Amino acid sequence: MPLVVPFGQYVPGTTPLHRLDARMKLLLVAAYVAALFLVHSWLGLGVCLLLLLAAFAAARIPARLALRGLKPVLVILAFTFLANALTLDAAGTESALALIGNFGISAPGVLRGLYLVLRIIALIISTVLLTLTTSVVALTDAMTSLMRPLAALRVPTEDIATMFSIALRFIPLTAAEAEKIMVAQSARGALFDQGGPIRRARAWLPVLVPLFVNLFRRADDLAAAMETRCYSGQGRSHLRVSTLHPSHAAAGLIGAILLIALGIIL
Amino acid sequence: MLAFNQVGLTYPGAAAPALEGVGFTLSAGEHVVLLGANGSGKSTLAQLANALLLPTSGQIEVDGLIAGERAGAGERAGAGPGSGSGPGPGAVIRQIRTLVGVIAQDPDNQIISTTVLDEVAFGPENLGLPRPELARRCAQALAMVGLAGFEERDPNSLSGGEKQRLVIAGILAMQPTYLILDEPTSMLDGRGRQEVVAAIAAARARGCGILHITHEMEYARAAERALVLAEGRLVYDGAPAGLLTDQEHLEQWGLACAPQLLTAASPIERQADTGAATSAGAPGPSAEPALSLVLQDVSYAYSAGTSFAHQALRDASLTVEPGSYSLICGDNGAGKSTLLRIAAGLLQPDHGRAGFAAAESLIPVRPGDVGLVFQHPEAQLFAQSVAEDILFGPRNLATARGQRLDGSAEQTIVTEALAAVGLDAQGFAGRSPFSLSGGEMRRVAIATVLAMQPRFLLLDEPTAGLDARGRAAIHSMIAQQRAAGAGVVVVSHDLAEFAAHAEQIYRLSAGELRAEPACEPTEATIPNSPTGLRPQPGQAQAQTPVEAQSPGPGLLSEQGGPPCPS
Repeated sequence: MPLVVPFGQYVPGTTPLHRLDARMKLLLVAAYVAALFLVHSWLGLGVCLLLLLAAFAAARIPARLALRGLKPVLVILAFTFLANALTLDAAGTESALALIGNFGISAPGVLRGLYLVLRIIALIISTVLLTLTTSVVALTDAMTSLMRPLAALRVPTEDIATMFSIALRFIPLTAAEAEKIMVAQSARGALFDQGGPIRRARAWLPVLVPLFVNLFRRADDLAAAMETRCYSGQGRSHLRVSTLHPSHAAAGLIGAILLIALGIIL
Repeated sequence: MLAFNQVGLTYPGAAAPALEGVGFTLSAGEHVVLLGANGSGKSTLAQLANALLLPTSGQIEVDGLIAGERAGAGERAGAGPGSGSGPGPGAVIRQIRTLVGVIAQDPDNQIISTTVLDEVAFGPENLGLPRPELARRCAQALAMVGLAGFEERDPNSLSGGEKQRLVIAGILAMQPTYLILDEPTSMLDGRGRQEVVAAIAAARARGCGILHITHEMEYARAAERALVLAEGRLVYDGAPAGLLTDQEHLEQWGLACAPQLLTAASPIERQADTGAATSAGAPGPSAEPALSLVLQDVSYAYSAGTSFAHQALRDASLTVEPGSYSLICGDNGAGKSTLLRIAAGLLQPDHGRAGFAAAESLIPVRPGDVGLVFQHPEAQLFAQSVAEDILFGPRNLATARGQRLDGSAEQTIVTEALAAVGLDAQGFAGRSPFSLSGGEMRRVAIATVLAMQPRFLLLDEPTAGLDARGRAAIHSMIAQQRAAGAGVVVVSHDLAEFAAHAEQIYRLSAGELRAEPACEPTEATIPNSPTGLRPQPGQAQAQTPVEAQSPGPGLLSEQGGPPCPS
């Protein structure tokens, strides 16, 4: 059964954006986010938004997929906008429109709110674009690869990489197991959506208890399977060497520098 | 040589030893099967063999190496940090683990990586081998188990048999001299079993010593030597042939069960007239008019309308009459769990209808009408006591009807539900479900469903992983439920085990359900039957005689289609 991933699910493709080395994509997204916070004019923000639109067009990703990522933050967006747009000092200010007494809408506040909201939207959609064009495996590989130099600082990079990998393996398994236990308990008359919050929380016990018991059992088995294959988190060699193609490196670095420059100038 | 010398192990805090005085040897290139009932100490032995556990008495020698005398005995031995360098107990354990590979039951719990290639490379990478050697070993191991070409696949997308072959490849890439397989096929369907058996044969052909640990007698035939473990002691070491005919000892060791136990399970009433099947037995169906459970042209697709769309069922029709016994055969992924969910009223079909056949229409299934027992139902137990777990369903049903069960009613439900699975309420009602053995947990989990007195009982692989005694208990429970008027549907990949009992056999394949032609049983050799053995002359009359077309191991029966000439 396919699992529904909460944020932008990978859409396979062959566009340059899909093929770009995932490490460089991470770098570019980081630079883009930095640029978003560095720009200090509407012109700057406008250029950032145009770049994002161009990237979506280049990746051939329908806009509806991008907008889906905004759903969970709608409340935050609305709050950000209103907190800026509304004022309690409307009567005394010229640029404000009084509604009830001193309570009203301020024109600079509306603009400021809009600016902030557009910035958050660009921030979220840029990361959604990353997950839409990059498989989760490629992303974690990129993260572990970028992390590797930290091993010199005694950061347990091998263990972290293994943890990423195990998480990727077991999240879908655990989700499927939770669903199966829910169905089994439903067949025994369990109701998960009735009563107050305490009753609802209690209704989940028959799902959570076996789920955790099974997880501990799995963890035990997995530890044995890793020990059997001599895992110690040290002295490992690697079959895959992720060579960074010069053209990818150049694209990533030049793009990142341009983005930061854009942020500083505009 | 891998040699156990008078090995014993008592877990910390345990009263009785898990293993005592176990001695045997395994040579490179030898194929030995180790048989034992559930709880006989088989898994403990597997963990001892590659120093995941250390013995509390005796010694285990692997090609002259003896695992850590210095580490805490009876506790999990770790290779620990720095074990790769210099001599010491850690280094010895590491060497032993490269010599002895252990493969456990559930492949899902042994796969670490997100691609097939990385998974096979995991072990050799831990050994710090140079890259060309890593590549060479991975290619070789994948070819040996027949997974060449799967390198970039996600393990989650593989079938059960492919996953277990991947686990075996991951061990073979370590180039072990000995391979210990602990129930490697018990989670797999028919096709998966064949694939894994072939992979084991390939490993042996390469010179590995194989120790195949199992409770399934069918695997003994392929081995050169058989060992039997009973209650922590080694009770047999010799030719498999001598063992297979020794019914008396097999029963004593829990590897077969007495024929009289099976007769209780054999179909008592085979007559089709369902009017007689509404006797008042308890627990059993409630005294409402007996309606049939019907699925009419049911179709279901997951993620319909997306690129992940998967048609799980296609126009499946099924009628289950009260007191009847249907068997649905099909490998994993054929749509079994979707079919069961729809039949239990837990999933609405895209097309078609499901429900109880009334005069004109179908009455929808409500919770409690149809008891659904998933594969490995023990994984759904949650309460503090067996009684609480059993009462979960009945209490939910009473609440839904606006009623409340009183103390004596609850006690009756617990006693009857436990009795229905052959367990004694006094001994079990107060215990924690997590303190029970695997077989007992399975039976309690089934009791939690029976406690709701369902009119129909749907069971998905109810005997998977159970030894002969556990299987007999399940078969006997099914017979009792039928006698009490409940319609039973068993879903299993194992045609051989259930075919003798079922009245109607269906085959589910790629979402399509077809009725198998009715077949008249002729003589009794049920390769994977609870006895696992060809019945002795004189005992055969006690059972309903059935002859499969070949007495070959049950693992091959899938390919041969129905066990009867049709």
